[in-house]
Formats: sequence, C-alpha cells, structure tokens
Amino acid sequence: MIAEAALSSEATGSLLGRWEARFKLPGLLMLIFSFAFVRDLRLLLPLLICAALIYRFSGLPLGYLFSRLRLPGFFLLAMAVILPFWSGQTELWRFGPLALRLEGLIGLLLITAKFTAILSVAVALFATTPLSQLTIALRTIGMPWLLTDLLLFTHRYLFQLAGDLRRMRTAARLRGFLANSLSSLKPLAYITGSMLVRSHDQAERVFQAMTLRGYGNTSLPLPVFRPALSDYLLLGAAMLLAAGFILAQYML
Amino acid sequence: MHIPDGIISASAAVSGYAATGGLTWLSLRGIRKQYVNPRTGIPRAALLTAAFFAASLIHIPIPPVSVHLVLSGLMGVILGWFAFPAILVGLLLQAVMFQHGGLTTLGINACLMGLPALLAYFIFRLRYVFGWEKPLPNAVLAFLAAFLAVAFGALMAALLIVHATPAYMDAAAERTAVMALSLAYLPVALIEGIFTAMVVIFLLKVQPDLLEGDRR
Amino acid sequence: MTDALNISDLTFAYPGQSPVLEEINCTIKAGEKVGLIGPNGAGKTTLFLLITGIIKPSSGQLIVLDQPVKPGTFNPAVGMIFQHTADQLISPSVREDIAFGPQNMGLNQEDIRARIKETAELTGITSLLDRPPHQLSAGEQRLVALSGILAMWPLLLIMDEPTSDLDIRYRRRLIKLLANMTGKTLFVASHDLEFVLETCSRVLLLEGSHIQADGDPAAIMGSENLMEKHGLEVPHSLSATWHRHKK
Repeated sequence: MIAEAALSSEATGSLLGRWEARFKLPGLLMLIFSFAFVRDLRLLLPLLICAALIYRFSGLPLGYLFSRLRLPGFFLLAMAVILPFWSGQTELWRFGPLALRLEGLIGLLLITAKFTAILSVAVALFATTPLSQLTIALRTIGMPWLLTDLLLFTHRYLFQLAGDLRRMRTAARLRGFLANSLSSLKPLAYITGSMLVRSHDQAERVFQAMTLRGYGNTSLPLPVFRPALSDYLLLGAAMLLAAGFILAQYML
Repeated sequence: MHIPDGIISASAAVSGYAATGGLTWLSLRGIRKQYVNPRTGIPRAALLTAAFFAASLIHIPIPPVSVHLVLSGLMGVILGWFAFPAILVGLLLQAVMFQHGGLTTLGINACLMGLPALLAYFIFRLRYVFGWEKPLPNAVLAFLAAFLAVAFGALMAALLIVHATPAYMDAAAERTAVMALSLAYLPVALIEGIFTAMVVIFLLKVQPDLLEGDRR
Repeated sequence: MTDALNISDLTFAYPGQSPVLEEINCTIKAGEKVGLIGPNGAGKTTLFLLITGIIKPSSGQLIVLDQPVKPGTFNPAVGMIFQHTADQLISPSVREDIAFGPQNMGLNQEDIRARIKETAELTGITSLLDRPPHQLSAGEQRLVALSGILAMWPLLLIMDEPTSDLDIRYRRRLIKLLANMTGKTLFVASHDLEFVLETCSRVLLLEGSHIQADGDPAAIMGSENLMEKHGLEVPHSLSATWHRHKK
C-alpha cells in the first residue's frame, strides 16, 4: 500500500516526503478541514489551486492521483445524476418531468471541487508517509496507543486474511459453489464463520508468540525527534492557509 | 453507507469527530473494565477486524443486483467493546489505503457504523440475561441485533444526507427522502440479519468461545 | 478416453513478471499416478490452478479429460485438495462439508447421503461425521478434505502437498488409500519424496519454469546429478550412502 506503490524516490525526496510526519499530519489535516468549511463559490478556485500546489509538492505523478480517485469518483458520478435534478426551486431548464435546477447545480459544483481538493491533499499526505511514521504522528496528536497498536496489527493481517478468504472461495468454487442467488447466503455465512474461527486461532498463536517476546510488559515511549526549521515553517504555512480559508468563508 | 469527503457540512464533520472521541473514550473504559491488561485483547481484535474488513468485500446477490455486507452487527456481537475502536481503525485504513470512505467524514462514518455495532452488542448480550445457550434463541437475537444495527445505521445516514448536505428541499420532501433512503436499506437489513444469524449458529457449533470473548 | 490431461505449449506469467511456466508440454494417461516435484516457487501450485481453470493461461492449450479447460466453470470430474486444509473446510460439520460438492452438483438428498456414507467408510472417518472439522487434528482434517473431494467422484484428483502436516500414522493411511484407489488419475505435488516414491509410477521435475525431467520415479529421484542441479536431494531410500550406512 503506502509503502510499495507510492513511496517512490521522488515521493520520499519531495518537500512533503521530507516534512516530519508529526508536523505534516496535523498541518494537512487542518487544511483539509478548512476545505470542508468552504461554501462560497468564489473560494473554489483558490481552494483548487492550493490543493494542486500541495499535490505538486508531493512529487507524485498525476496518473497516481487519477488512479486513486477512480473508485471514490463513482460516488461523485451518482451525485452528478441526482443533485442538479432534485435539489432546489430555481428551474433553469425543463424537459418533460425533468427540471435542471440552479441550487442543485451549485451544490454539485461545490461538492465536486471540495471532494477533489480534499482527496488530492489526502493522497499526497498518505502517499508520502509510511504507516510506521503515520502511527507515531497519530499518537503525537493524541490517539490512544490501543488504537495505534490495533491499526498496525490490523494492517499487518489485512492482506493475509484477504488472501485466505480468496483461497477459501476458490476452493468452494472448485466444489461447484457459485454465488449467484440468495441461496448462496448460507455457504457465504459458513465461509465467513470459518474465516473468523481461523483468525481467532491465529490470534491466539500470534499473541502467545508475542507474549514470549515481551509484548505488553511496558508501553514503548515515542521516539524523540528534533524538528527542523522547515518543519515549523511548513506547519505555520499550513495553519495560515487553513485559517485563511475559514476566515474568508465567514467574512465574504 | 460511507459518506465521502466534500459532501457534508464542516460542522457536521467536526461533530462527527467529537462524537467519535467520546465513543472511543467510552469503549476504552469498557475494555479496561474487561481486561486487566487491555493489550492482551489487541491481537484478537486486530485479526478479527482484518477478517471483517476482508469479509465486507463479499457481495451478496439479491438478483438482479448484489449488495455489500455491512457487518456492523456481527462486529458488535463478536468484538464487544472492541467493536468501535476496530471500526474506527478499519475505516481509517480504508481511507488511507483505498481513498474509500473519507477523511473529514471519518468521525461521522465511524459513528454511522460503530454506534449500531454497540447497539448490536447490547442486544446480543441479552443472551446472558436470559441464560440462552440453544441455537434458536441465539440466532433470533443475532438476527435482531444485525437487522436493527443496519436499519439504525441507514436511518442515521439518511438523516445526515438530507440535513447536512447541500440538498435544498422543503420539509415534506425531506421527510419523504429520509423514508425512501431508509426503506431502500430494508432488504439489506433483512439479509444482514439472516446472514449474521447463520454465522452465529455456525460459531455456536464450531467455536462458541468466539462469541463469549467479551465475558472474560 | 485415454488421456486424463493434455498440456501443450502452456505458458503462464503474472502481469508484468517473467513467466512462471513456459512452453510446458505434457500428457498424463488416464489412471496414471504422477508426482510433481521441484523446489519452492517452481510453479507447482500455479500449474494446478491452471489445470483446474482457476487462472487462465497466457498462452497454450489445456485439455482435461478430453475437454478443453473452461476457466470459471465447475467440473466435478476434476478435484483438488488444497495445501492448507483450512482453505477448504468451511462447514460446521464434517457431514455438511462432504455434502457441499455433491449438493452443488445438484444431486438429490438420497444420493448425497449415500455418497457421504460411502466416502466416509472409504477414508475411515465415519466416526467424525458430526464433528466440526475445525476442531479435528491436522491428519483428520486432511482426510475430511479428501473425502469432500472424493464424494464428487472425480476422475482426476489433484493434491498439493498432501503430507505436509501429517504424522507417520496418517501419512501411512493416506499412502494406503491412494494405493487402493483405482480408476482415478492422480497428480500430486510434494516435497515428501519418499511419499512420491511409494505412491507414484511417474514423476515430473519442475524447475525454472520448465519440466526438467519426466519418467520413472526411482530413476529420476535416484540421480544425484539431476536432483542437486535443481535444488533437490536424493531421498534416503534411494541414496547409495544411506544403504551402505544401513548395512
């Protein structure tokens, strides 16, 4: 995931890649939230420019962003079909029972711009931050250790279990199982149940092995770090931008 | 039922995070009451979380369409107090790795899935109150837990979509929209209920202690 | 039908990677018992997945039991036992797990019951029928997995590392079972060369995406040159030093 595909040398060497995660995460999160505050159409252009610049600082190719946007983009497509025709009173154009409405169109414009901007920054943030650094940053901004431990372990086993599930479904298919009607509910429930039993068994073993190596004895202190001037400057810039968007929204 | 970035008002997104903070605190308190050392519960919760998120990729065919499993009810039934942290972590991973769900809406989505999971947990706990150990009453409870979890989640999501998005509608239209959106989820809730009951029957037969993980 | 399996010019590569299997040609006659040996990562499992139609070849032709393989379709005549039995056992009881395949074949209840009874007697697991498979020992699980496949009455039986988790007693039971099986073609991948020696009448050595040797098990596995060249070892029972030591 974050490690393999995106963390190319360009990404790690880029401005965002060199920015200490413990400053980058709060900085960019604030910015992302300030994007969410925007409702004024005049702010959309600055918003998009800001997002584009940040993405540029990540050193990631544009194609990577598009590949990441494809999946959530389907949702946007659905909104594009619904909003302009259902939301609002001001009819711009009418075709039989269908009416194109101004408010819906504006809503769609807002959603599309904010969605694209937030996702671009999020992709830039996560693609330049390995999970290990991300968890340290999350703990620094106050996430309890129980959650960060859970995060690391879950990530460690996610792909293995997805593979287990795939092989179980393949084995079932070789015995003629096709998930093509509601009657497949029972075999699917059994497969899910078997997977939970397998995971549970494995968890016992994993836990025993971890206990033998001292897991749970002490809670690990966060590694100390001395931030560079650039870390502070970038955080300051992100905070200023975020404050700017929120202020502008309420002043305009 | 995930609400993506950009659609919801900022105040709703911030409230979602606040509510998530509160629910996390509540869950951690619940976990501390159960475990002398909460760390001991982590490998199990993590592996099951991973299993749940893998399983949520299963499509259930309801011809002519197919739906995803939500599994919020099953997660509550099996993970107990760990359900909310597990869902939060799972959603964060999905947002980080696949841009699925949303980042500003992470709090909201965690509540939309996590609150129903906790509801399911409390419903399923009734089996201890009544001392039920036979498959049938347990299956009925599991069905109810998962059905209500999905229905509750869908109702909350519908209310949010209608009230906190730029969909300008009059009051009557809003009520209709909430009704329609929730009703659309009724078949899903039914399927989810039946599915969860089947998994619970399976586990009762194969490894009942998986269902009693919260009793230690 | 004279050939159980007919592979011609088979090549398979995962996208963007060098081929796992390249220009494989091989024929297995009906009723033959063939072993597939080779170091880790040689492509043994991949070959099985191709034969069962789980994955599609990059090029080449696969004919199984006189029919070209149609990826994605169900063919109960071809059965495969997975390396990890946990991938295969999904039902809450052994009985239901054995019934899973026959049910999907559309058989009626009576036939299914008959097949369960017959198969369980053959593999000797009648006493386990009402137990959850997940609670059984590795050896018992292996026999249950085998029963689930045998109940479909396959003509071609494929096994991936069937002895990897068995103790001597269950290993012996499996060898006996396979020896007594008639009318079925067996294709089995294993690192347990003694097992291959006892079970198979022919062996294929797969390494470096090609079949390096094909023939009599004792001749191939007894050749120190050949075996060491491909990252394998001559099994003890065929090794000259071992015999000397025994004397």
